[in-house]
Amino acid sequence: MIFQPMKNILHFLITAAFSSLLILVTGCGKSDAPQPNPPTTPGTLKTAKSTYTIGMSQCNLGEPWRVQMNEDVKNAAAKQPNLKVIFKDAQNDTLRQRSHVEEFVSAGVDLIIISPKEAQPLTEPVAKAMEAGIPVIVLDRRLLGDKFTCFIGADNKKIGKAAGQWIVKKLGGKGKIVELKGLMTSTPGQDRDSGFREGLAGSQVEIIFEADMKWLEPDARKEMESALSRFNKIDLVYAHNDPGAHGAYLAAKAAGREKEMLFVGIDALPQEGVSYVSQGILNASFQYPTGGTEAIDTALKILKGETVAKEITLGSRLFEKDNVANGGQPLP
Amino acid sequence: MSKMNTQSARPSTIVRIWSNPASRALLALFLVVALGCIFNADGAFYKLGTHRDALRQASVFGIMACGMTLVIITGGIDLSVGSILALVSVSFALMSIHWGWSAAVAIPLCLLIGTVCGGVSGGIASCFRIQPFIATLAMMVFARGLAKTISGGMKVSTAVKNPDGTYHNVDVPGIFRFIDGRVLGGNLSMVTVIFIICAILTWIILSRHRWGRQLYAIGGNEEAARLSGIPVVLSKTMAYAACGLLSAVAGLCQAAQEQQGDPEAGGGYELTAIAIVVIGGTSLAGGRGGIGLTLLGTLTIGYLDKILSINAVPEASRLMLTGVIIIAAVLTQRRRKS
Repeated sequence: MIFQPMKNILHFLITAAFSSLLILVTGCGKSDAPQPNPPTTPGTLKTAKSTYTIGMSQCNLGEPWRVQMNEDVKNAAAKQPNLKVIFKDAQNDTLRQRSHVEEFVSAGVDLIIISPKEAQPLTEPVAKAMEAGIPVIVLDRRLLGDKFTCFIGADNKKIGKAAGQWIVKKLGGKGKIVELKGLMTSTPGQDRDSGFREGLAGSQVEIIFEADMKWLEPDARKEMESALSRFNKIDLVYAHNDPGAHGAYLAAKAAGREKEMLFVGIDALPQEGVSYVSQGILNASFQYPTGGTEAIDTALKILKGETVAKEITLGSRLFEKDNVANGGQPLP
Repeated sequence: MSKMNTQSARPSTIVRIWSNPASRALLALFLVVALGCIFNADGAFYKLGTHRDALRQASVFGIMACGMTLVIITGGIDLSVGSILALVSVSFALMSIHWGWSAAVAIPLCLLIGTVCGGVSGGIASCFRIQPFIATLAMMVFARGLAKTISGGMKVSTAVKNPDGTYHNVDVPGIFRFIDGRVLGGNLSMVTVIFIICAILTWIILSRHRWGRQLYAIGGNEEAARLSGIPVVLSKTMAYAACGLLSAVAGLCQAAQEQQGDPEAGGGYELTAIAIVVIGGTSLAGGRGGIGLTLLGTLTIGYLDKILSINAVPEASRLMLTGVIIIAAVLTQRRRKS
């Protein structure tokens, strides 16, 4: 039996130790990405130039698409013996990403690739990096103004429109479809919706049911079940991402109605959309390219002193059953 | 069906602490169902399939809420259930899809993982008298990190990576199809059956077993329970372990229904599970409540969600409506009690 005061002190100590541990864990618990963070001595690399160090700041590795982006950057960089990439994951925290940029500047990297979480708070840190003489490639999401070297990204609106036009053609100009939307407070969700409606314009294709499934497969399945119980005939399901389309397929299959309709998704990640198309689960998936490979190509050009375009728009690819084995078909 | 059970069982089962809150919880459920009858989405609400789907969807939450009820009755809280669900669904997918292990090995192992996670946070909370909120918060973060580590940050799906970076597809394991299947001529989802089994087992523990009584005693007055010879630390740890076990069961169901293990799955599920328990009428202060109430809470939340979904209510209005209805349900509980 411990004395009461001693017990209190012990209790306090344990609580204190535990909460500091917790803060530590909350801080770095999510760092699942390879994050080699070797001490970089400023200046030395600049003079040597035998190898270049690139700092890559990813806004959130919680999304498979962004994991794929890092993978693409890593694979492309691995082919260049003189490139070393330092990966950092901001875990969906703007301020953490801001400190990434500042850390890269003080570490004296040769180039920064950033896939920013938000435009406003990251515009200024990137501008400061540019002032320090470090070129910055902005991937996927935009920053404000023009204080960066190059922006690489795909156009969600264009992809949504292409999906709409493909659907109109596939359905022969008329039909009843379900739209399962991504988070409608996010720009990709809004663009994939507005582009899609542009693509449908002028046809007799009618959206009979629409719901926000927040990019989540279980939610997509739930919403699709509701659509199935309300409508006896559905010709096609358009989901803003492939897991959403897969969820819809599972709902339709459980109701024995998966043969009645087509399923179309977006993103075409190798392990998701492309795999679903080759298994015959989805009828089509439109690729939303990560730009990881292009970022490294562009980085090389910049480091060699070549001039690059201020803005590079990535092309998309369409994956269907008959072209999936050949790596899809590029969209115009 | 479960509605009827509770209603007819109310007078016969002489558990006094149930009788009053149960009728309140039923009232909330009836209000929600009445809402469904008014906004029936062109008759979709009257279709059998709608109810089957509503129950399927609520089952995972219901299973977690059963475990949460055990913990809340002791006066504690468990925030780690959603992360344990993700950890188990990733483990289950890895074992069954990627490694091709038989379900007879994978399922007990997965259940063990959940039990250990729950037991560890519960043990830390009760042995060292750390607030359960903190201990389970730590487990919530840790288990999520572990799920991401073992899955490599990607969803574990039927597309398996080859050494050269390409993917090949494997079949969905039979056990996944079994759990995601249906019984009674396609009128009841297997996950709902699993939920009902979990509910019955926890009900037996809480109302018929000595350990269940001990949990109520601890929730009522922990010091008094200790003085009267109840092994408080052990009983409480076991409650968290059981909660972890049930989260693991929910994780198995989640993986089977998604046909993959998603390390991001279950985010925010802990709050839904707590809401279900509270709407049912189990007291957050501990010592009062039961599984029957949680069952009603599950149906209330499940039907509310389904009604909003078949009417294609926009997301923003859904969140606001859910908030209002949760408050309304909880207020009904309070007013009648005094």
